[in-house]
Amino acid sequence: MNSDQPTGEAPLPVLTLFVAGSAPRSERARGNLTRMLAHIGRSDLHVHEIDMLAEPQEGLAYSVFATPTLLKMSATGAIDALYGDLSEPERLQGFLGDLAEDS
Amino acid sequence: MSGSETGQSKRPTGIAGLDNVTRGGLPAGQATLVLGEAAAGKTVLGLQVLANAVDRGEGAVFVTFEESPAQIRRDAASFSWGEALIASTSWQLIDARPHFGVEAAGAFDIEGLLSVVASAAETMQTSWLVFDGIDQLLQYQPDQRSAIEQVRRLDAYCAEHGWTLLLTGKATDERVTPAGLEGIEFLLSATLVLSARMVNQQLNRSLRIAKYRGSGHCADELPMLIDGEGIQLPYHEPAPDGGGVASDERLSTGIERLDKLLGGGIYRGASLLISGRPGTAKSTLAGHFAQAAAARGERTLYVSFDELEAPYVRNLASVGIDLRTPIDAGLVRFQDLAAYTARVTEHFLVLRRMIDDFDPRCLVIDPISALLKASATEGAHTATEQLIDLARRRGITTVLTSLSSEDDPEGEATQGQVSTLADGWIVLDYNIRSGERNRALSIVKSRGTAHSNQQRELLLSDAGIDLADVYEYGSEVLMGTARANREAEEDAAAQRRERERQQRRVDLERRLEQADQERQRLAAELALEQDQVSEADRAEATRRDTIQQRRDPDQDNPSAPAPDDTSHDEGQSS
Repeated sequence: MNSDQPTGEAPLPVLTLFVAGSAPRSERARGNLTRMLAHIGRSDLHVHEIDMLAEPQEGLAYSVFATPTLLKMSATGAIDALYGDLSEPERLQGFLGDLAEDS
Repeated sequence: MSGSETGQSKRPTGIAGLDNVTRGGLPAGQATLVLGEAAAGKTVLGLQVLANAVDRGEGAVFVTFEESPAQIRRDAASFSWGEALIASTSWQLIDARPHFGVEAAGAFDIEGLLSVVASAAETMQTSWLVFDGIDQLLQYQPDQRSAIEQVRRLDAYCAEHGWTLLLTGKATDERVTPAGLEGIEFLLSATLVLSARMVNQQLNRSLRIAKYRGSGHCADELPMLIDGEGIQLPYHEPAPDGGGVASDERLSTGIERLDKLLGGGIYRGASLLISGRPGTAKSTLAGHFAQAAAARGERTLYVSFDELEAPYVRNLASVGIDLRTPIDAGLVRFQDLAAYTARVTEHFLVLRRMIDDFDPRCLVIDPISALLKASATEGAHTATEQLIDLARRRGITTVLTSLSSEDDPEGEATQGQVSTLADGWIVLDYNIRSGERNRALSIVKSRGTAHSNQQRELLLSDAGIDLADVYEYGSEVLMGTARANREAEEDAAAQRRERERQQRRVDLERRLEQADQERQRLAAELALEQDQVSEADRAEATRRDTIQQRRDPDQDNPSAPAPDDTSHDEGQSS
């Protein structure tokens, strides 16, 4: 039984995208995220991807149940989460704000 | 797990009352929506169903979207089944609370969640899933349509895997639709609505089956309790077997003359209602019954509402009824309960558990009318009816007392329903006359018995109760001093009549004696007269003879005196 909010066994990369195989929303999220990273000039950032259909225990470990979910690990170790197919650019850009090239 | 009128497969929840009213449980392999306001008992219901499943050796998964796992465990630990559930490894508790401060950018699906649940469920023989508070996750969906679509997906996924799902949702007001997920109730095949309402400052819970597709069910609002055993539907548990046999055995009420009036006593397994105003000796009658049961070696559960054991037992001792000895011997279990401290439903549950536990042959509840003081949405009558029914089915002979008000001695208004259900009904009352209150007993009803319909005087002494025949005077019945006075008057009149008869006899005897004396006197007079008459006759005859002799001188009379008696000659010649 998983109890507390997980901190993760190993430090996560800055960005992790939890997807459900090739589900339409997951596919859309991949595309939307790639476009946004390009838009803010951070195409250099590697997005770690976890397929929850293949590795459900990873979802459990990071308390991710909605797919797709984007997790962002800050320098302090805090994790922020954004649900959805990332189809709202303003929200996504706001979420990624501190990663933008000029910040 | 199966067995309904449509052949629909059902999975028992293990909550006896719920399985009874749903005729077997909730739809197997489908989702049931459990709606309720905060603290209505949704989480408890889920945990209890899981605990029962785990206890049967099945596996289960509980997904919490709102409370922390620690809180869920604390919730479970407060129930009798909680410890075993927490210790068991055949279920999993998944913490699916959304991240703090999470946002959404677009629609998402719950494939990830299903994947996590599936990987947990597959390691066990999972039968039940509980999704507690999924609205906490689905509220991040940008539109309601997406949220409902996720529930549909969840339902289908459970059906594929044969899992039976409880999905909790928040109800607002009395609406049968979950806040934020309006419409999913049409999707799912069953909906339970839990509610909690304040009645007389006490929380009264209920459960209602708002929907059960393809299955007969009880649609009423069912009084529900949450106590140390969890959720209970006290009135809807399956009735115990048996009870169809009507006994011919008569049990003594402990008062010989009352037994006679009842045609030999109370039938075993029957119920007797004793109603009356305060101080009409209801408790004393009930005490007699319990004492008689103990004397037969039978166990009696003796429930006193609002009067504590010690004074109750002492008060009965003052009229010669000893409950202390049977209590100490374990033949009488005395239970004092305060009516106002709990809901009627709770009282009923407590009584039923005591009956289960003590397995009495006789039951006394003094007074059952105290239940009217307890709060309930369903009213005290339900509890009373259920109690009488339960006792009857178990063959327990029951004596219930009921307090009636001063203006309504027979208490029709309050006890009408009880008196209809009870097999016998004795009304105790006062008969006020000549400045005296005398207790009166009348048998209003006694099923299956040719009972006396006459009122009796109830005499209370330090030897308990006895009944006196009332004194009939014209169309009235007299009791107490009035009866005594009337009896004394009657005695005096009878004595007077007797004296008068004696006097007349004496008079007649005296007159007879007088007449007798008169007769004797007359007889004596007659005899005297007869004597005198015969004496006179004799003297006359002698004189006549003498004269004749003298008139015939020639006649030789050798007996005649010598001739020298000259005087005779001279006399004869003159």
